[in-house]
Amino acid sequence: MSWQRLVTLMRREARATLRDPFTLVILIAVPLAALLMFGFTLSTKVQDLAVGVRDESQTPASRRLLADLRANGDFRLHLFRSREAIDRALTSGRISAALIIPPTFDRALREGTPGAAAAEVQLLYDGAETVVAGNMEASLRGMIVSSVAELTAADGEEAGSASPSVGVAVMPRVLFNPTLDGIPYMVAGTFGFVLTFLTTLITAVSIVNERLQGTFEQLQVTPATSLEIFLGKVLPLGGVFAVDVVLMVVAAGLVMHVWPHGSALFFVAVSSFYVLTSLALGLIISATSATAAEAVQKTVLTSIPLVQLSGFAFPLRNMPLAVQWLAQLFPATHYIRVSRAIYLRGAGPIDLLPELVMLAVFGALLVAVALRSIEVRS
Amino acid sequence: MTFRRDRSVRRAKVRPPETGHFFSNIAAIAYKETAALRHDQAFLAVVLVQPIVMMLMFGFALSNEPANVPWAVLDHSRTEASRRFLDAVQSTGYFLAPQPVTSYDDGRALLKRGRVVAFVVVPADFRRAAERGQARVQLLLDGTDPISAARVGGYISAVGASFTTRRAPPPDRAPASPPLALRQRFVFNPTLRDRDFFLAALGGMLLTNLCLSATCLSIVGERENGTFEYMLASPTTPIEIVLGKLMPYVAISYGVLVLTLVATGLVFGIWPSGSLLALAVVTLPFVLASLSIGAFVSTLAATSAQAVFISVFFILPSFVLSGSMISYQLMPPGVREVGALMPLRWYQIAQREIIERGAGLGDVLVPVLALCAMFGVMLLLIRWRMQPRLG
Repeated sequence: MSWQRLVTLMRREARATLRDPFTLVILIAVPLAALLMFGFTLSTKVQDLAVGVRDESQTPASRRLLADLRANGDFRLHLFRSREAIDRALTSGRISAALIIPPTFDRALREGTPGAAAAEVQLLYDGAETVVAGNMEASLRGMIVSSVAELTAADGEEAGSASPSVGVAVMPRVLFNPTLDGIPYMVAGTFGFVLTFLTTLITAVSIVNERLQGTFEQLQVTPATSLEIFLGKVLPLGGVFAVDVVLMVVAAGLVMHVWPHGSALFFVAVSSFYVLTSLALGLIISATSATAAEAVQKTVLTSIPLVQLSGFAFPLRNMPLAVQWLAQLFPATHYIRVSRAIYLRGAGPIDLLPELVMLAVFGALLVAVALRSIEVRS
Repeated sequence: MTFRRDRSVRRAKVRPPETGHFFSNIAAIAYKETAALRHDQAFLAVVLVQPIVMMLMFGFALSNEPANVPWAVLDHSRTEASRRFLDAVQSTGYFLAPQPVTSYDDGRALLKRGRVVAFVVVPADFRRAAERGQARVQLLLDGTDPISAARVGGYISAVGASFTTRRAPPPDRAPASPPLALRQRFVFNPTLRDRDFFLAALGGMLLTNLCLSATCLSIVGERENGTFEYMLASPTTPIEIVLGKLMPYVAISYGVLVLTLVATGLVFGIWPSGSLLALAVVTLPFVLASLSIGAFVSTLAATSAQAVFISVFFILPSFVLSGSMISYQLMPPGVREVGALMPLRWYQIAQREIIERGAGLGDVLVPVLALCAMFGVMLLLIRWRMQPRLG
C-alpha cells in the first residue's frame, strides 16, 4: 500500500465526481429535498380535516355542540341534508368523518334521568384512511364528550355530581419529545434513508460507467492494489457525503429547528463510518451489473425493502418476528436506530454499544466482499 | 425512371406531414417496441416479481399499529392490586412481558437507550389509594416515535380507566348514567387494519414505478444506441414515436394491475368492493400521464443513468407525498398541494374510493379529469422539448 498512489487515485476520483454538474446537483439537492419532504409527512396532529354533519335536531343544544367543534379549528364542518348525501361524501373521501345528531338529542339531554336513554350521537369514521381515522377518533370523541358535559352542566342539572372515580388515573409524561412532534423522528430517519440510498446509487453508477468506458480495467492493470483502488474510490465520495451529513444537520437545525440532543461530533463520526459501509455495498452491486441502468434498477430494488423494513417509516417491532429478524441483517436498521437515539434521546456511545458493534461488523464484512469483487474481476 | 421519380416526389409533397399516417405510425412503433420488450428478460422479471414482493411487504410487514411493545415496570407497591393492574396492561396484547427494574434511574436508562418504550411506576401507596378510589400510576413514554407513543399511552390509560380497584361497586350510589352515548363506527374498514390501507394503493405505486422507469430508460437507451435518430429519419414525427413507444406499456400496466388485484384477493382476501369498470377507466389516464412523465424525463437526461436518477427521485416523492403510504390529509397545507401535482395522488384517491369504499364510475370523475389534464400538459411539454432536437 503506497500513500502516493492512494493520493493520486483519490485526486482522480474527486475530479471525476466534481466535474459532472449533474452528480453535484444530486449530491446537494437530494439530501435537502428528502429532509424537507420526509420531515413534514408524519404527524399525529389532526388539522383542517373535513367532517360531515347531519343535524336532525336543529335545537340550541345541537347548534352549541357544532359551534364548539367549529371553534376548535381542527375541523372543517360541512352540513348535509340527508343520510344518503353523507354516505356518498364518505365514499368519495370528501369527508373523513361524519357526525349525526338525532332529533331526540335535545330532549334526551334535558331529561337526563338516570337509567333513561342517554342523548345519542352517531360518529362515522372513514376507516379506509386508517391513521386519519385513528387520530380523529381520539380528538373528536374527547371534544364531543366534553362539549356535551358542559351543555348539561349549563343546564344546571346535577352539574356538580362528578362520577365516582373507580379506575386508575394514569399520569403520562412523554420524554425526549413532549409535544409528540413528528418532525424530529423523521429528520433523524432521513439521514438513514439518504446515506443508504443515495450513497449506494452514486457508487454503483459511477463504477459501472467506468467499467463501460474501460477506465476501471485500466486502473486494475496499474500497480495499484485492490485496497488502494477501493479506498481511492470510496474515500473521496465518503468525504462528499460527510459534508452532506453536516449540511443536513445544519439545514434541519435552521429550517426545522431540530438539532441533535446528543453529541453532534459523535453523530457525524458514526454517520461517516456508515457511509463507508453503504459505499462498499454500492461497489458490490456495481460488480454484478453489466450496465448502469441495471445497476440502478438493482439498487432501487434492494433499497425499497431496505428503506421500508429498516424502521425508517414504520416501527420495526410492529412487524412479524421473521421480518424483524430479516431486518437485523440490514445495516440501515442499526444506523437508523443509532441516528434516532442520538438525535432525540441524546444517547452516547455507551448507550448504543450493541448497535455500534453491529455496524462495525457489517462494515468489515461489506468492505471485505467489496475488495474481493474488485480482485475477482481483474 | 423519370416517371417514377416524379410520382414519388409529388406524393411526398402532397402528403400532409402529420395527420394522414398518425395512427398507423404509432401502431408501427408500438409493434417494434413490443418486439424489443419480449426479448428483455430482466424487464419481464421485474414486472412479474415486483408486484408480489411489494404486496407481501405491504400486506404482512408494514403496520402502524403497535405490537411487541417493550416496557419496564417499577412496582413499589408489590400488592395483589398492583399485579392485577399490570396483568391487565399485559393482557391488551400489545405488550411484551414487562421488564422489572429496581430503581427509577434504571427505568430512565432503559428509556434513554431505547430498550423500552414505556415505563410504568406504581407508587407504594397504590393499594390504599385504590381503596379510596384515588389510585394513580406514573407512566413515562419515549416520545421519539410520536405515533407509537401516543397510541401506547392511550392503551395504558384505557386500561386504567376501566380498571376496578374496589371489589364491589359502592352500594350507596346508583351508577350515574353518562349524559351521552356515543355510537362510533369505522366504516369501510371496521378494525382499522393498516393492510387494507396499503394494499388499496399498491397498484398505483407499482404502475408509477413501472411506467416512469421503463419509458425513460427505453427512450434514452435508444438515443444512446443511435436508434432514436433512425426513427427520426423515418417519416414519423417525434410525438408519434413517443406515443408508439408508450402503447405496449399501457397493455403491460393493465396486466400488472390485474396481477396485483388477483394476488391481493387470493392471498389477503381483499377484493375491490366497487366498480371494476371505474377502475379500468381511471387507470388509462393515470398510466398515460405517468408514461408521458417518463418520456419527458428522457428528454431532460443525457445518459440512461441520469434518466433513472431523475425518475427515481420523482418516484420516491410520489410514494410519500401522494398519500399512498402516509395519509396526505395529515400533511401540513403546503406539502399537501405539492402532492396534488403528482398523478399518483389522484390515482390513489380513486383507488381507495373504488377498492375500499365501493365507489362507482360517477364518484371518480374528479380524479379522471385531473389525470387527463396532466396527460395533456405532459404531451405539450414533450412536444416542446422534442422540437429543437429535430433541427
